[in-house]
Amino acid sequence: MSALSFLIIYFITPAFIKFLNKKGKVVKDYHKPGMPNVPRPAGPVLLIGIVISEILLYFLILDVKIISVLLTTIIAFIIGYIDDLKTMPGWFKPTTLILAAVPIVILGSHGNYLGLIFDNAFIPILYIPLILSIIPIVGNTINSIDVFNGVATGFVIITMIPLLVSAIVFGNNNVLLMALPLLFGSIALYQYHKFPSKIFLGDSGTLLLGSMYASLLIAGNSEIIGVIALLPAVMNSFLFLSSVKKIVEHREIKTRPVTICSDFRLMASKDNSAPATLVRLILAKGPLTEREIITRIFILATFSSILAFISIAIQYLFMMGKISL
Amino acid sequence: MRLFGLFMLIFIMWIMIMIVSYFLVFIIGPLHISLFNNTTDRLISSIVKATLAIGLVVVLILLLGNLKTKYLQKTLQRN
Repeated sequence: MSALSFLIIYFITPAFIKFLNKKGKVVKDYHKPGMPNVPRPAGPVLLIGIVISEILLYFLILDVKIISVLLTTIIAFIIGYIDDLKTMPGWFKPTTLILAAVPIVILGSHGNYLGLIFDNAFIPILYIPLILSIIPIVGNTINSIDVFNGVATGFVIITMIPLLVSAIVFGNNNVLLMALPLLFGSIALYQYHKFPSKIFLGDSGTLLLGSMYASLLIAGNSEIIGVIALLPAVMNSFLFLSSVKKIVEHREIKTRPVTICSDFRLMASKDNSAPATLVRLILAKGPLTEREIITRIFILATFSSILAFISIAIQYLFMMGKISL
Repeated sequence: MRLFGLFMLIFIMWIMIMIVSYFLVFIIGPLHISLFNNTTDRLISSIVKATLAIGLVVVLILLLGNLKTKYLQKTLQRN
């Protein structure tokens, strides 16, 4: 199924890029000389590959969790696609993404225990609001990190590895199978999204990636592991929110967190009113090229994924009773 | 190394998550309140536990906010 997801996305995307170019659905890439037009969004291609793979998987293993993950992914995609077509206000994505969490709650794909590394906490009632907040938070977190070529897909590929390892270690084989189409779909799309991008994800693509990632975390009881793996992205959205003090679209921000130098390197804004983002933190020590920033974001994602692996090992040792406090 | 400060920031965040997890499992989890010696006690215990857990997460978020503000100010001032 994962190979199918990879092949569909890998072979459909070039035709979809031509289609978007023909229809004039392009946006400027402001970080490059000449500001070339790049087609957008790639969300529909990603959706097709993942939906076909997951539906086939459902007929093979008949697990209702697949339906709930798929519905969550489709709803998130629709919300993102609306935002791609028409610029919506800042509150739109976080609030409407709560709807995307509903299939997980209704179809009961969540457990009653929250994995807290050292043990599980039985929280049947508290778990529902937690699910309703996890999907919008992770969806928007992946959305907010998609600021440079290939970052969102590359980031999801790196941070998917701890999620898969967690599923293997704790015996969630179905979650592992459900996650593979997302991983291989992202790998296929990364070939076109990486620097220099031939296509941009758009909100439909990033919300799809983030919401599916979040629903897999819930289905696999790996919420804390996921939060640890996503720490650089969580930090980015958290930094942005706490400095701006309200939920707004990036384009609504008056003071940009970074500025572009004449040689197209990027520089952190010295303006105190500029939002504190992860990229601004990376650039705080001096200007960098877009490619250098992307590499640094991936290094940070790898570091947080290593911490997630350590957390999985600690959780496993506690679960097996090898260590206790 | 350019990313050392950010590595440390992420590492401290991870340590804080682990500490909160520890508190939730070993301190708040086993908490039991006996007031009426009937089923009401279980409900009261659950409410107290949930409140403490939410409070702890809020404290974590505030601490993280404080941490990143200090880091950002320090780094921007230095460069």
